[in-house]
Amino acid sequence: MEFTVSKANLVRELSFSQGVVEKKTTIPILSNVLIEASGDRITLTATDLELGIRCSCPARVKKAGSGTIPARRLLDYVRLLPDADVDVKVGDNHWASLTCGRSKTKIAGMSRESFPELPVMPEKVAEIPAKVLAGLISRTIFAISAEESRFTLNGALLQLKAEGLTMVATDGHRLAMVEKAYELPEISGVYKALLPRKAMQELVRLAAEAGPEDKVKFSGDENHLFFELGERLLLSRKLTGNFPDYERVLPKEQPHSVSMAKDELKGAIERVAQFSDDRSHAIRLQVNDGEVRIHSSLSDTGESEESIPVEYTGPSVEIGFNAHYLTEFLKALGESKAGFHFKDGNSAGELRPAGDDVEFGYRYIVMPMRI
Amino acid sequence: MPAPRPPRIFHVDMDAFFVSVEELYDPSLKGKPVVVGGARDQRGVVSAASYAARKFGVHSAMPLRTAAQLCPQAIFIEGHPDRYRDYSKRVQQIFGRFTPVVEMASIDEAYLDMTGTERLLGSPLAAAHRIHEAIKQETQLNCSIGASQTRLVSKVASDQAKPNGVLWIAPGQEAEFLAPLDVRKIPGVGKVTEKYLHELGIRQVGHLAALDEEFLRAKFGKWGLALAGKARGADAGGWFDAQVGGHEDPKSISHEHTFNDDTGDETKLLATLDRLSEMVAERLRKHQLFARTVNLKLRYSDFSTFTRAHTLREPTALDRAIADAAREMFRKAWRVGEPIRLLGVGVSGLDVAAGQQGLFDAPANQRWETALTAVDKLRERFGSDAVSLARGLKGKFRERTHEALPDMDAPAVKKPE
Repeated sequence: MEFTVSKANLVRELSFSQGVVEKKTTIPILSNVLIEASGDRITLTATDLELGIRCSCPARVKKAGSGTIPARRLLDYVRLLPDADVDVKVGDNHWASLTCGRSKTKIAGMSRESFPELPVMPEKVAEIPAKVLAGLISRTIFAISAEESRFTLNGALLQLKAEGLTMVATDGHRLAMVEKAYELPEISGVYKALLPRKAMQELVRLAAEAGPEDKVKFSGDENHLFFELGERLLLSRKLTGNFPDYERVLPKEQPHSVSMAKDELKGAIERVAQFSDDRSHAIRLQVNDGEVRIHSSLSDTGESEESIPVEYTGPSVEIGFNAHYLTEFLKALGESKAGFHFKDGNSAGELRPAGDDVEFGYRYIVMPMRI
Repeated sequence: MPAPRPPRIFHVDMDAFFVSVEELYDPSLKGKPVVVGGARDQRGVVSAASYAARKFGVHSAMPLRTAAQLCPQAIFIEGHPDRYRDYSKRVQQIFGRFTPVVEMASIDEAYLDMTGTERLLGSPLAAAHRIHEAIKQETQLNCSIGASQTRLVSKVASDQAKPNGVLWIAPGQEAEFLAPLDVRKIPGVGKVTEKYLHELGIRQVGHLAALDEEFLRAKFGKWGLALAGKARGADAGGWFDAQVGGHEDPKSISHEHTFNDDTGDETKLLATLDRLSEMVAERLRKHQLFARTVNLKLRYSDFSTFTRAHTLREPTALDRAIADAAREMFRKAWRVGEPIRLLGVGVSGLDVAAGQQGLFDAPANQRWETALTAVDKLRERFGSDAVSLARGLKGKFRERTHEALPDMDAPAVKKPE
């Protein structure tokens, strides 16, 4: 195999493989990127068997063929080359020779024979605007459980209906649900899939490069999910198991609510949380006549309190929360105002976007802490 | 600013508490050697012994069978934990009338912070007598009271005052009071430390106090420094550093059961785990604590002992959550069918807050908690057997309470090479 590619193109496409290649070197071939050259393009493929990515870019192919090269090493090196064309040649001994101007390097590769075959993308299920998909992910990904043992919570539930999309994530303490109305005429009934966190992270990276009108072609087979955006394809193993019955825990009615400027609330919580327990991050939210008081104390080191004026005339209610749970939502919130909906100190609180500029139907349910 | 008031700490220790309570119900026991804890041929240990039985060398934590050998004429009784708790509570209420700062160190002893009661109650001795009198009048029970500026000296003083006495150690007299006492009298000095001190020629507290701190540190490490402090009457080391009432919460709670006959019957073993879990959870709720970690202990017939620990996702005070974790660990640890001598269930990582509530289990847990709190109240009124989870019914056994946990805070002293 022999081809010439611009350094910029190679770096850009290679960098997509970095989030996918195996970090642990249990299976050496998975640390490599598969490069295939044919026609006037090269294709780069990386996988850790859970996740796979295939990107391509134009190249002048002198001799079609393929080879695998350690992905991390290749990118680290190519990144340092001057902005020019890079000649790549992989011989029968699997070594790759790179020439760029006066720089010459040989990198030990491996035979492509042992590189796993990626499943083929089946016919598309739907086309979703890339920005919508990224919006759904960024509003839910932080609520995914970090506990590996709860594997059905290690991802988000994606639901497609003819009239729109829903994504839900929870770690058992809080739940983020986001909806976007968008016509998906291909869908009949409900299409559900559990999307692993790592795939979501990579999708956000892919979508960041997309134009405002670009769409992701989405499909799935029994075990995999496929996302194709332009010349790039991301595929992921589905999470198996049943996502919990989240609709059961969505509060039916919240008798009280207040609305606050997002930045004001976020700043107040972040400051007060400096004086919360390191492990629990517990703070108290007290809604009184005309104000929301946020406070916390550490018996030995100090205490902190903030007050935010609000329009409220209901009963005084105090609820304990993990401060991180609240700030994570506020960071993900695109809108400038947040509404806090609640019942009492023992029931789940709910945060939603407020105001006139609401982009997504977004509900964030947080269970209280008992303090 | 007024000058800080000198501390005034009392240690009140009930005299032969369990036996005395038994005597109230059965006056014929008076003066006789009585052993509380179970039948003479049962496995298990003595929870309390009357003074008459103690003369024969019987003491608490001794195997019942040993006690029966030492004192064959003793009357062995199972005991009534509910009665002891009831009386303990009555005594505690009396304390509460004298000072708001009461720390029940165990079922039959308490530290009282009497600082600032001079005007109200008079001299320490006068105040101690008033408490002593009130307890006698209202419960007919005897107690001994030690009074001083530190917890440690007061504890030693109450012991010296026994039975039925009051002893006040005036400020400045602490070292003099402690000096002639056996080193074993210092709380925290157990058998092992005593033996080692004896080997060094240290028999009396005075010898210990005279030692160079550096020498003690070299021999015993940090614990040596605490020991030196204690020898001089200071509250040093472990919970003696704490304020009275400042360390009310236990660090761990556990219950164990030794089977009368070793058993490999899975149903019985699991039921015992459930029953032990219930007892642990009940105590958690009583202290209004929540546990993060569940511990399992199992001992086979050959005394080989295994412990396991499991950290829960969310802190709990529920029987079911503790029992589930205990059962799970048991299933993994038990060599199926092999007879077991002892099972224990414990919790640690205790927190005053339940902390984070779960989205999917909170409503069910809250219902359980409400129900179990009601159960606790029933048990308090009608005894621990009044209500039980169905699974734990087969694991029923007599509850045993101990008057005081022997030297819980004494670290085992390692002999330097």
